[in-house]
Order: sequence, then structure tokens, then C-alpha cells
Amino acid sequence: MKNSWTNTFSGFTRIKVVGKYTELFLNRCIHEKVSIWHIRRVGEETIVCYVALEDVKRIRPIVKETKVKVYFIERKGVPFLFKKMISRAGFVAGMVAFVAILFILSNMVWNISIEGASPKIEHELKQAVDELGIKRGKFHFLLPSVEDIQMKVSEKIDEATWIGVTLNGTTFHFNVVEQTFPEKQEPISPRHLVSKKKAIIYDIFVEQGQPKVTPNDFVEKGDMLVSGFIGKEGKMEIAPAKGKILGEIWYKSNVSIPLVTEFSTFTGEKKTKHSFSIFNFSIPFWGLGKIEFNEYETNEERHRLNFLNWSLPIEYHREVILEKETFVREYSEEEAVDTATLMAKEELMKKLDEDAVIKGENVLHQTNENGKVTLMIHYQVIEDIAKSQPIIQGD
Amino acid sequence: MRKINKMVRKWMTDKMELPADVTMDLPRITMIGQLHIYIENHRGVLKFSNQELRLLLEQGQLLIKGNHFVIKTILPEELLLEGVIDQVIYINEGEQKKR
Repeated sequence: MKNSWTNTFSGFTRIKVVGKYTELFLNRCIHEKVSIWHIRRVGEETIVCYVALEDVKRIRPIVKETKVKVYFIERKGVPFLFKKMISRAGFVAGMVAFVAILFILSNMVWNISIEGASPKIEHELKQAVDELGIKRGKFHFLLPSVEDIQMKVSEKIDEATWIGVTLNGTTFHFNVVEQTFPEKQEPISPRHLVSKKKAIIYDIFVEQGQPKVTPNDFVEKGDMLVSGFIGKEGKMEIAPAKGKILGEIWYKSNVSIPLVTEFSTFTGEKKTKHSFSIFNFSIPFWGLGKIEFNEYETNEERHRLNFLNWSLPIEYHREVILEKETFVREYSEEEAVDTATLMAKEELMKKLDEDAVIKGENVLHQTNENGKVTLMIHYQVIEDIAKSQPIIQGD
Repeated sequence: MRKINKMVRKWMTDKMELPADVTMDLPRITMIGQLHIYIENHRGVLKFSNQELRLLLEQGQLLIKGNHFVIKTILPEELLLEGVIDQVIYINEGEQKKR
């Protein structure tokens, strides 16, 4: 027996059978395996029933045989619906257009909301977002991914500690957590200045307080440099010591650098591939053809398409293939030493304060083993060694 | 000869506990309240109207009486009738024994 829904696909008609031998007509239909159903008697010599569209032609001999008359009353099912749709093409086109427009609009940016930002930062963020191309009416799949946006925006706006970016339907949501700087504290409490490192005093400049050291003195870590007690003996006052004590500090650093290094860089040649994937089945539509690069790196980007609130199992997929080139860098020993010293210096500078000065450098030891140049370098650095130590007053 | 055949079949049905509708070509009738009646093993429609359905069976006829009859499905050996069923009557021809 066929299900009724399969009948709606293949189509069926309602027929009226008029004649004396309607029962015979039924029996003949059953015998010929013509599928008829929902039979109802409406008159003395009339029955009404449904016949599958595919069996309609086979009724004809039975009708002749049983001397009944058949009238078609209704036509139902998909084939007839199609015919109707073709005759009302404008209406159908409108419906299709509606769905298509709805689909397109579901994948557009409609709103950008910024939360938790002061007016200044909000303005900056708006500009940054605008620069990234996030504007009303842009397609989601043409924009960078949310993570990328978050990274770029966070980079641009230093005042914000954190910017959370979420794509909520058609709205980009920026959640800003602003940095609050601690207010700068004036050193009003009385204090001493002590040494924070083992050093030789190079120069001292005291604004307030009593210097306890002179240039070329050797100080250990924690030694008093400037005292907070000022005034003559007997009339001692306590004040916050202030000043700059420059000390010479010795650093030793070890660097080793290989003579031969392999590097890979991008040549700038690239190829972009676009594809759609439906249920993980990928359909490329742009950038077909083989990749002609010997070495390459692939950057992938995926965007889900939306329809109203739902995300469809359709993904827009962009692949950027960047050509890479490997080259070998070979140093002579001299060059290697030069680079090594430069590297060591840079590394040291990272560790030091901003106002520190490297006064001198000496290569203590140099070896060339296993294709590697190893250097031991000694540095003399001048930096501020003062550290405040509060004076705890006993009553 | 036919009588012997029938007797053998009846004996087999009794002794071997086979379903009677399979071995003896008897109609199998399923009713759901008064709403539906489902008949298997019929041999054709004799008369159909809103109040009456007369079916031909292997032996005799089956008469169903009621109201608002609609034949929902009809296949060579099966029939599903819908409506308000009041009576189901077996009509035996001549000397055949009553059920």
C-alpha cells in the first residue's frame, strides 16, 4: 500500500464514476492493480474516489468495459502544483526573491554596538572598526573573523585593557573594559634611598637628603645611598630622600650563533581560493587550478552563512596560499661575531631600564665549534641603582 | 476430492495450530470500535453504498451495515472501511453450515 504522502508527490485526481455497474468498476480496478482509495457513494449510480495520476491512463479500458462514465473533479499533488506555479510565475518569483533577500540581509552587518567605553574610546573604537571595514551593509563572510577583529582592535586601542568582540546575529558587539591607571603617588612619606644592585658609584645627584656615598665607592645590594635624615645633629628632621644615583654595573652574557642558518620568507606571490562547503562537502568556485608554488603556507578563513536566527550548514571558505622561499644564510666568522655582539646587546637592553647606558663592552672569550660561534661578552652599564626604602618611625 | 482436501486442511489447522485464515482462505477481520473494519482475504465488492457493503468471500458473503461508509483503501485482497459500523453479517449459501 502506498502512503498518502508519496501520492502527493506523484499526484492524484479525484474522479466521479457514474454508471450502473460501479461495483464492477471497483472490482476491475482492484484486479488491474489500479490504486484507488477513499471511495464514497454520493448517489444512486455515482461514486467518488481518488486515483493516482500514474494510473489514470489505465482506467480507460476498464471504463469502456464496465460502461460507466468518469468525470475528473479535482487535481492534487506536486505535478499539478508545478503547473500552477508556472502559470503564476510572477508570484513564485516574488516568493523566491523574498527568501533570497532575507538570506542576503541575514548575512549583513546591521548594527555595531559598543559597551562599556568612555565617549573618547568609543569614538576611537568606532574609527578603528570603520578602518577594518566593518560598516553597516557589509557581508559577514567578507570581513575578517571575529578573533582577528578582536586582535586588531585590541592592538589599536591601547587605553582599553580588553575588548571582547562577538557577532550576535547581524550585530557586532564590542565589549570594552577600560584601563584605569593608578594615580601617580608623590613620594611624600619619608624614605631612604638604598642600592638595588652590587655596583660602583659613577655619579650622584641628590635633590633632597643626605648623600652617604661618593663616586667610585663600591656598594653592595641594600647599602644606604641617600639618607632621609637631614639637618644638623640634634636637630634631625626626616624627609623623603630624592635623587639619582648612577652606578656602574658589570654584566656578563653568553651568546652563541650558528654560522649556517636556514630561513623561509614569503615571496609575496599568492593565490586565493574560494569555495562553499555544504555539510562539509566542499564546492570550489573561484581560484581553481593547481598550486604552482614549490613551498607554500595556507591561511584559511571560514564563515558560516546565516538565515535569520539559524546558522545554515553552508560555509563560505577562503584560502590564501602564500608562496614561501627558503634560503640559507652563511656567516663568515667575523660577521657571526658582529651579529652575536649586536644580539647580545639588544638582549641586554631589553633587561635594563630605559635610561641605562652601556658604557663599554669587551669580548672575553670566543670559540668556533661545531659550526657555532660562542661569545662571552662583558658589559659595563651605567644605570640608576637607587631604590626607595621607607623610614618606619617608631614613636 | 475437494471435500477430502478441505477435511485435510481442517485437520491440519486443528492439530498443528496453524492460523485458520492462512490454511483455509478464511477472511481475517479486524475492527476498531465502530470506526474501522479491516478485511483481508475478500474476493471482490458486490455492493457498496453509504449504508451497506457486501463483499464476496471464498465461501459465502460478508454484509456490513452502518452509516457514512467510505472505502479508505482497497487492494486485491484487503479492504479498509471507515464509517459507523452497526452490523457484520455472514451470509451462507444454501446448505453450508452456520458459523
